[in-house]
Amino acid sequence: MSEEQGYDRGSSLSIFGSDRREDFMALTFALIIAFGVYFAY
Amino acid sequence: MVYTKKSPALLIIGLVMLAIWYLADSGMIAPYLEHLAAGKKYKYGAELTSLPLYFGIISVVIGAWQQFGSHKEGHWDYYSSTIAGGMFILLIAMLVRWFIAPEVAVISMSMGKVGDTGKYIHKLLGLNYVVMGILTGIIIVNVFKVPEWAKNGVRLSRLGLKTGVILLGTLYSAAELKNLGGLSIVMIGFFVLGSVGMVLWMGSRRKIPNSMGGVLSAGMGVCGVSATVASAPVVQAKSVEIAYTIGTILLWGVGCMFVFPIIGNLLGMSHVQFGAWAGTGILNSAQVAGAALAYQPDGIETLKVAEIFNITRVLVLPIIVIWLAVWYVKKEESATHTVNVGRVIFEKFPVFVLGFILLFALSTTGMFAPANHYKGKYFGNTAESGFKESKLLKADQAALLQGESVKIERADRKEAVQRLIDNGKIMSIEDDTAIRGLINAKLLSKDANKVLKGSHKAVRHTAKKIKAFRNWIVWLFAFGLVGLGMQITVGSMKQAGGQPAVIGGIVGFTKAALSLLVVMLLISETI
Repeated sequence: MSEEQGYDRGSSLSIFGSDRREDFMALTFALIIAFGVYFAY
Repeated sequence: MVYTKKSPALLIIGLVMLAIWYLADSGMIAPYLEHLAAGKKYKYGAELTSLPLYFGIISVVIGAWQQFGSHKEGHWDYYSSTIAGGMFILLIAMLVRWFIAPEVAVISMSMGKVGDTGKYIHKLLGLNYVVMGILTGIIIVNVFKVPEWAKNGVRLSRLGLKTGVILLGTLYSAAELKNLGGLSIVMIGFFVLGSVGMVLWMGSRRKIPNSMGGVLSAGMGVCGVSATVASAPVVQAKSVEIAYTIGTILLWGVGCMFVFPIIGNLLGMSHVQFGAWAGTGILNSAQVAGAALAYQPDGIETLKVAEIFNITRVLVLPIIVIWLAVWYVKKEESATHTVNVGRVIFEKFPVFVLGFILLFALSTTGMFAPANHYKGKYFGNTAESGFKESKLLKADQAALLQGESVKIERADRKEAVQRLIDNGKIMSIEDDTAIRGLINAKLLSKDANKVLKGSHKAVRHTAKKIKAFRNWIVWLFAFGLVGLGMQITVGSMKQAGGQPAVIGGIVGFTKAALSLLVVMLLISETI
């Protein structure tokens, strides 16, 4: 689908090259937030 | 290629955010906020005097650099080019949540309640910040088009939704799954397998290509886009068939997102009932969240139940992929090459679901709240667990309860009240449940019920960490759903036309109707 939408990097739904990479980024952000909340409250 | 645009847009967005913060913090818009609160306390005061300041400063600094700095090709250039679009979505989410949705509620309330429903029209139609955020996104993309400088940022919305789904794991504990897990597995198993089978059967009757039927069945049965993508290689689907399937799912889901909350309100469904229904009947994770938040915008109990059902459905994905592989090979006996099913599952299984399970496991250990917490709330009658001695029963209150206890017939309730009188506080979670039942039964006088309610509140606590997680989740979903709206073009809706849309519509409707029936018959739990 990325070719159809004309995106050089990522796809029309994501800035990342693959779903797997997006999943890992989401996991990283979620863990940062989780530990931030854990230590801040 | 250099992605960062030399545009003043981000700088202007930052200045608008700072202006909102200043107007709120200085009290200049206090009368307007009072009007939006409709006689109550304005709910978003704390957010309004902090978030626009932080994000405004970030936007102004980065916006000035984007406008006046020089940019070179590379990773930093690519990722920083998403900030303007991200802040654009965030600004829309802020305006909708803080001003537009409350204004619509005020107008709706001024029109009075609708007939016998006892509810205002904005409640019945689910017109809150979630739905209006998505609608705003759809309007922007179809009427004005997403500005060039914002295009990269709009593609961040799915990242926001996935992060939100992972964080939802912090709100659950194993104690909760004991109540919901079994039912969600049985319901989801039945409806997922039933939908996949029905699409495959209808597809062969209506003579659509096997690859189209296969990919549509996974999309309609399991979890929308992820399942479509995961099953496509197994049934060797063409890209146009993937696009048709995604278009069908999105169109169906958009309809559900608006219709489900209306039906839920008309039937007076509990949060658990609606969550189970949405989690079963709606296909796309984001749209499940949209419907659940639309039904209950001021809390996330519905969302949590819906996500449990939704996550259960995602976990069925490997089984469906294997089934489709076997089905496809049987249908296409002349297939020229084989598909490695194990590799497809390994490569396409969504890792964010594993993230949810990881945070769920951490939450179950008691890291964020006592391990027995239920939806962030937990029982505690000691000073260490948050009980205040000032909440102990007074002598006159104990006497009132003692005098009225003769009216109580059920032994468990009678004993729970006696222990409350003897100790001045509720002694166990079982006693608390019995006393809540007694309050709901309205057996005692108003004054006695008030005393019981006070005792109940004194031993029920909400974990601060869970409260913080709730705020994060609501904002991540608001961000993701506004961005999702910006990806729904009239063109993608038209793509759902024809046979896939007919089959998808029939199967989707059957699943929604049957799951509604099952939910109403089997689920009676309320929150």
